Amino acid sequence: MKLDMFKKTKHTASRKNDSIRGEKHPSVPRGLLRKCNKCGSAIIAEDAIADYYICPKCGGYFRVDAYSRIARIADEGSFEEWDNGLSSGNPMKFRGYEDKIKALQEKTGLDEAVVTGEARIDGRRVVLGVCDGRFMMASMGEVVGEKIARAVERATKEKLPVILFACSGGARMQEGIVSLMQMAKTAAALKRHSDEGLLYISVLTDPTTGGVTASFAMLGDIILAEPKALIGFAGPRVIEQTIGEKLPKGFQRAEFLLEHGFIDGIVERDKLRGTLSTILALHENACNGGHRQTADAGIAGADSAAVQVDEGAGIKEMNCERTDHPVFADLHGEIHVSGRMEAWERVQLSRRNDRPVGSDYISALFDDFMELHGDRCFADDKAVIGGIAFFHGRPVTVIAQAKGSNTKENIERHFGMPSPEGYRKALRLMKQAEKFHRPVICFVDTPGAFCGLEAEERGQGEAIARSIYEMSALKTPILSVVIGEGGSGGALAMATADEVWMLENAVYSILSPEGFASILWKDSKRAKEAAAVMRLTADELKEQGIVELVFAEPAFFTTECLAEVTGQLDKEIRRFIEQYGSYSSEELVKYRYERFRKL
Amino acid sequence: MIKKVLVANRGEIAVRIIRACREMGIETVAVYSEADAEALHTKLADEAVCIGPAPAAESYLKMERIISATIISGADAIHPGYGFLSENSVFARLCEKCNITLIGPGSEVIARMGDKQQARNTMLEAGVPIVPGSTEPVMDAETGKKEAAEIGYPVIIKAALGGGGKGMRVAAREEEFEQAFLTAQKEAEAAFASRVMYLEHFIEHPRHIEFQVLADSYGNVIHLGERDCSIQRNHQKMIEEAPSAALSEELRERMGNMAVAAAKAAGYVSAGTVEFLLERDEHFYFMEMNTRIQVEHPVTEWVTGIDLVKEQIRIASGKKLSYAQEEVKLTGHAIECRINAENPAKGFRPSPGTITDMYLPGGKGIRVDSAIYTGCEIPPYYDSMIAKLIVWAKNRKEAIRKLQSALGEVIIEGIETNVDYQYELINHPDFLAGNTDITFIEQHQQELLDTCE
Repeated sequence: MKLDMFKKTKHTASRKNDSIRGEKHPSVPRGLLRKCNKCGSAIIAEDAIADYYICPKCGGYFRVDAYSRIARIADEGSFEEWDNGLSSGNPMKFRGYEDKIKALQEKTGLDEAVVTGEARIDGRRVVLGVCDGRFMMASMGEVVGEKIARAVERATKEKLPVILFACSGGARMQEGIVSLMQMAKTAAALKRHSDEGLLYISVLTDPTTGGVTASFAMLGDIILAEPKALIGFAGPRVIEQTIGEKLPKGFQRAEFLLEHGFIDGIVERDKLRGTLSTILALHENACNGGHRQTADAGIAGADSAAVQVDEGAGIKEMNCERTDHPVFADLHGEIHVSGRMEAWERVQLSRRNDRPVGSDYISALFDDFMELHGDRCFADDKAVIGGIAFFHGRPVTVIAQAKGSNTKENIERHFGMPSPEGYRKALRLMKQAEKFHRPVICFVDTPGAFCGLEAEERGQGEAIARSIYEMSALKTPILSVVIGEGGSGGALAMATADEVWMLENAVYSILSPEGFASILWKDSKRAKEAAAVMRLTADELKEQGIVELVFAEPAFFTTECLAEVTGQLDKEIRRFIEQYGSYSSEELVKYRYERFRKL
Repeated sequence: MIKKVLVANRGEIAVRIIRACREMGIETVAVYSEADAEALHTKLADEAVCIGPAPAAESYLKMERIISATIISGADAIHPGYGFLSENSVFARLCEKCNITLIGPGSEVIARMGDKQQARNTMLEAGVPIVPGSTEPVMDAETGKKEAAEIGYPVIIKAALGGGGKGMRVAAREEEFEQAFLTAQKEAEAAFASRVMYLEHFIEHPRHIEFQVLADSYGNVIHLGERDCSIQRNHQKMIEEAPSAALSEELRERMGNMAVAAAKAAGYVSAGTVEFLLERDEHFYFMEMNTRIQVEHPVTEWVTGIDLVKEQIRIASGKKLSYAQEEVKLTGHAIECRINAENPAKGFRPSPGTITDMYLPGGKGIRVDSAIYTGCEIPPYYDSMIAKLIVWAKNRKEAIRKLQSALGEVIIEGIETNVDYQYELINHPDFLAGNTDITFIEQHQQELLDTCE
């Protein structure tokens, strides 16, 4: 149809008063619309700001200025700025440097590229340092280094945790070698802070590169990053020019670092405040000098935990009964029936794929589990899950060898067979637990350490040895529970503990029955026979003093009836923490030494 | 006075607005998506600007593109029609910031009335009766259950930012509450990105009675009587009429006064609608206020003789109302019937396609608001309403007769429509008797489907 034949509007509306109209002529005020530098589309600036400076179109993150960042992180009105107004002069007499600084100070209203001070997050006192990329890409010159060092020193003195938000191009070229020295200055201040047992959280934002990455940014007890943030030492452009190759997509992004084990986690902006608050809560005892009084007692806050444990009398009772192995005795005969089960049947039960796995125990026994990733060396091994959580209100470090609940998960988690980086992650978390005086609770469930070319290349043997070595003298209580398969050195690397417990149908042995039969009888098919002679069942191991407690299992043990086991576990873990928490670190290490010395 | 209007809409309402502008000597700018390059509104306007690909989220809902189109075309006002950005307070605020007159109330009023909790509170203060319900936003089922017990079952769970039946569930008993709440909340999150819910007492078998109001910037507010929109399917209106068979002159006056009070309390300017639920015992409750022109506005236009779109433009230009309350006289009876491109036999599934041939009725007392023509495409991306057939006669009985006759003339080929279904509906004895409430369709669904096949 010829719709183009419509007649257009005949102008009859008055054209008078055009001058008045001129004043109010429709126009887009400056700053109302912005172009996203990630996806290129026009966006309404206010929308992005209201949504934590995130592009509503592509979800890309914009850089946030220091004060806006603080406003989103700290309790309202709680921020008190420190050391504003320091100046560095011009150490290299670099031409035009002073003018540039002055111009930036006027433009941004900042004195330098970092804002430091004290604030509260959900009521908890914390020292904050936030880089502001608008100021010479937040490069670290003398003032930045000095402000960070002073803030950290003051935090050390006042026993406060530190949170630094890194965003930086690196060292400040215009200040030359003085700028390089800031790396040493900030790192040294953080070392003293850490040696006092205090918490440092590093938050890496886009971009964190150069001398900042290679100093304070990578030194956090916990390192978080924003999604897709560029994090690296050498910038991508420099690398590309040096090696003459195009870098793969996603190289040096936060996700890349997570995969390679360098950060504990990626946190979306809207969840950052909540995450920081939880981490602070999990470390509350470490700060405000709380650990000082209780450090000798082995774990922090032991007194307060005793109050939180209900039925204090029950605990005492359990303590008395412990030597009588109460859990095993509590089985009301049922165990005797299943006790006749052949070893090989138990081996098969321990391997069933509907058996609860490490992550099931973590969610059943602990609150607010926060998974921490990576060995800070090479990778994040998904065969080991580790992190911090509350156990009846008390922070604990939890580490589990992680089989998957289905085939897809199992492939991702290497069927619970840790690689060297898995043990190194576990050890990193144990050392962290030692620093913060948290008990360590391990769940062992592995056919064995991962057997493969890459594992050997990266030192599987060394990783296991190092774990056993360090665990033997870790100055915090360690408990290991064998929940399924306790395969050889791969299991011991997470079971050099003060007490080792087993589930009724878990097994713990030098080698798999198949392997045992193959070595001794050159026939892996004789695994059933091997299982019978290996003395690998829970009750046999208890007789030998390899394990302290054995926990009864329901007839068909799946996640649905997990509570029947975790109920008992919960009671005993409370008893364990109570008892071992009362030992001094020297006693703790001594008893652990003796435990293995006598075997 | 506004000289050039950009119509930020499509379909029949865009055409309706363009026609009003043409009559007023105001230039028009249409915006269109790539799917609407040949649409009637695109062709009828003096200018047309393409604002993006077919999906509404990429075109008719893209605020910054519509603002840009307004500025480059030199328009000084935007008419948002209904749907799309018409009740979006963010868009309204953007227009205010850019010195563009948005034909409708200000952004604050849109925001206040758009948030159901705030709207309720406003009405509560103004003494407008409201359905007993939660006074605070409800975020979880547990709190909701406690509130529901106080409000009294049955309760209806609604999304605070909701509309069009999304994020809405009824729980008849306490046992049903949790499931209903969670389902509604999930829908709300998906549709409106908000988990904020509210609850209210669910009134059984009410009529949907809404009052048209007009308010200028000088504090003058009048009402133009009611529309009875009780014939609804899944909260979507199908037939609307004015006046309602259920209202006495006395009740009309009471409800009208309340509508005016509601508009005044909201600080309302422009044409708006105050929706009430009317119980059989003549108790009525404020439901919500729509801050836009409505689909069913023609029935009010016909019984009052007032052109609502023109009034909207006049008010937006800063003029005073052309009528005082006592000048508003309701004459005769008007009924509107919505014609949708959908297949009632297949669950009212939308039926996009090309209209290969068509004939629409005309004559005395017949008005067709539509944007379809022979050969036009009905794209699958938008609302399926393609035409409104409105009739007027001295009284309800004659109006129904006229509607029956006119609907019987409608021929639309190439796509499926609900014409036959509507034809059965307006011949149903309960409808003829004026014996309807909002559960009418629900109750007679199968019967209507069977007869129209």
